[in-house]
Amino acid sequence: MGLQFTSVEKRLNDSLIFPEFNLHSGSNQVTAIYSSLNVRNTLLQMLIREIPILIGEIHINNVEISKANLSDIGFSFLNEGLYERLTVVEQLNFYRKLYSADISTATILRKVHLEEKRNVRIKKLSYSEQRRIQFAKLLIQNPEQFIFEEPDQNIDIETQRVLIIMLEELRAKGKSVLILTGNMESAVILADKVFKLDQSGLHEIQIARESEEDISPISEASAEIDKTEIQPARFEKIPTKVNEKIVLFDPPEIDYIESNDGQSSLHINGEAFPTMFTMNELEERLQHFGFFRCHRSYIVNLQKVREVITWTRNSYSLILDDERKSNIPLSKTKMAEMKVMLGLK
Amino acid sequence: MTFSMKRVNAIFQKDLKDILRNSAVSLTASMPLIIAFVMGKMSDDIAVDGHYMVINIAMVTVGSFIQCCLIAEEKEKNTLRGLMLSPASTLEILGGKSLLSLIAMMIIVLIGAFLTGYHPEQIVVIAIAILFTSFFFIGLGTLLGLLAKSVMEASVIIMPFMIVFGFGSMATMFADKYPILKVMDYTPNTQLAAIAVKVESGIGLGGVWLNFGIIALWIIGVFVLTSIVFKRKRMD
Repeated sequence: MGLQFTSVEKRLNDSLIFPEFNLHSGSNQVTAIYSSLNVRNTLLQMLIREIPILIGEIHINNVEISKANLSDIGFSFLNEGLYERLTVVEQLNFYRKLYSADISTATILRKVHLEEKRNVRIKKLSYSEQRRIQFAKLLIQNPEQFIFEEPDQNIDIETQRVLIIMLEELRAKGKSVLILTGNMESAVILADKVFKLDQSGLHEIQIARESEEDISPISEASAEIDKTEIQPARFEKIPTKVNEKIVLFDPPEIDYIESNDGQSSLHINGEAFPTMFTMNELEERLQHFGFFRCHRSYIVNLQKVREVITWTRNSYSLILDDERKSNIPLSKTKMAEMKVMLGLK
Repeated sequence: MTFSMKRVNAIFQKDLKDILRNSAVSLTASMPLIIAFVMGKMSDDIAVDGHYMVINIAMVTVGSFIQCCLIAEEKEKNTLRGLMLSPASTLEILGGKSLLSLIAMMIIVLIGAFLTGYHPEQIVVIAIAILFTSFFFIGLGTLLGLLAKSVMEASVIIMPFMIVFGFGSMATMFADKYPILKVMDYTPNTQLAAIAVKVESGIGLGGVWLNFGIIALWIIGVFVLTSIVFKRKRMD
């Protein structure tokens, strides 16, 4: 069951878009493919049969995609239009009739938090609310396989919460979910398994949510903070490489650090700068500047954290105070550690 | 995939609600009624050609134009892909839309005929003729809808057809001067008017089969063209 890619490859003229890869997006789990726009569009076009699959095969629930019924897959496209002149209820009723669904409109409205807007025309809804209608459509359709394109791009916190809870429910119901995104944070927050697909192929990104470390390092961490504070001042700028130049950044400038394929990058005002240090080295160097390893692949500047959001009992994220309101994943084990650092508990 | 009336009905209802709130389209659709109203007020005794000018304009502006806009708007607003990926087949999508265009057209034609005071001799023959011709106009609307990418484009692309099929019967007046305009005698709208004139003079269904035949050729022509365009463009 689920979605199976077998040795799928795509070349366009002289360039390789992605080499052969195998991927299985099974039931009970959310799989994310983190890729460039080009790769994402190619994959989506293959899935909706807009372009032929010349090399390899895609199977959906063990049926080859060219023979499968596309209405058995729930798609949520980034640029999917809605009937602007209809009200929310009318639109949902239309979907219900179109998909011959049994579920009541009231249940759906509650799930996507649109009860208050039920008689508002879609044109007057915000972008995030319109996106929630798309999620509602998928709930009505209720397929075995879901495919989301950039599900949390430009959406507000409420919509993110709706999405995360919805994904949680889909997991519990044994559905298979594939997320295609160009945003590492959203892939890590939303999915259980994250893959990166580019010219060099498909690589799994280790996100290992829990269990990697137990809670013991907390006391160590606080002890270390004391130690480093006594040390004499030393050079603390973080070097990064931009083209052939080396640029130095002051730690307080940094919003957060992301590790991607063993390469750490500093994020400053929405721009990423690769650095040659590993995450562990950076963690050590930056600890006494109020930086915190909130996830295996993320170090965050606690000074910049505005909000800590609890999505479900074991999924959290941090919202930063920068222009983009960046959303950083926070793993469960680190949550406890962070509470200590914040002086809660 | 089976043809489901339920889905056709869903699309019909959705489009109906949508079109009623679309002021651009509903204003255009009411244009023939304004012409009919003015004509009805101007004189009490309107020739058959006069009635049919209103009916023809109603068929083009309502039947073809609404159908064309309904399809073009799905493309413009990016909703077509979602619809194509739903269980609804193309036939069901076009069926729902054609049903709406047909009903809207019939309503406007009826009101138009009432306003100009048209009372045909044999109402059954005339009703069959109008219904028959309307298939051509809906086919035409579908064809243009497949070609147009937006509502804006649709309203431009429909213009030449509005002139030819709506006001075409006027051109036959100049046919003596410009023989080329004789072609206009064979358009479905002039054929429809010809049926009406014959019926008025007391000829029954038997005398008008040639005119029906010509309209049928137009219908076949437009449907063949539509299916060719559809296969080449795959709706988007």
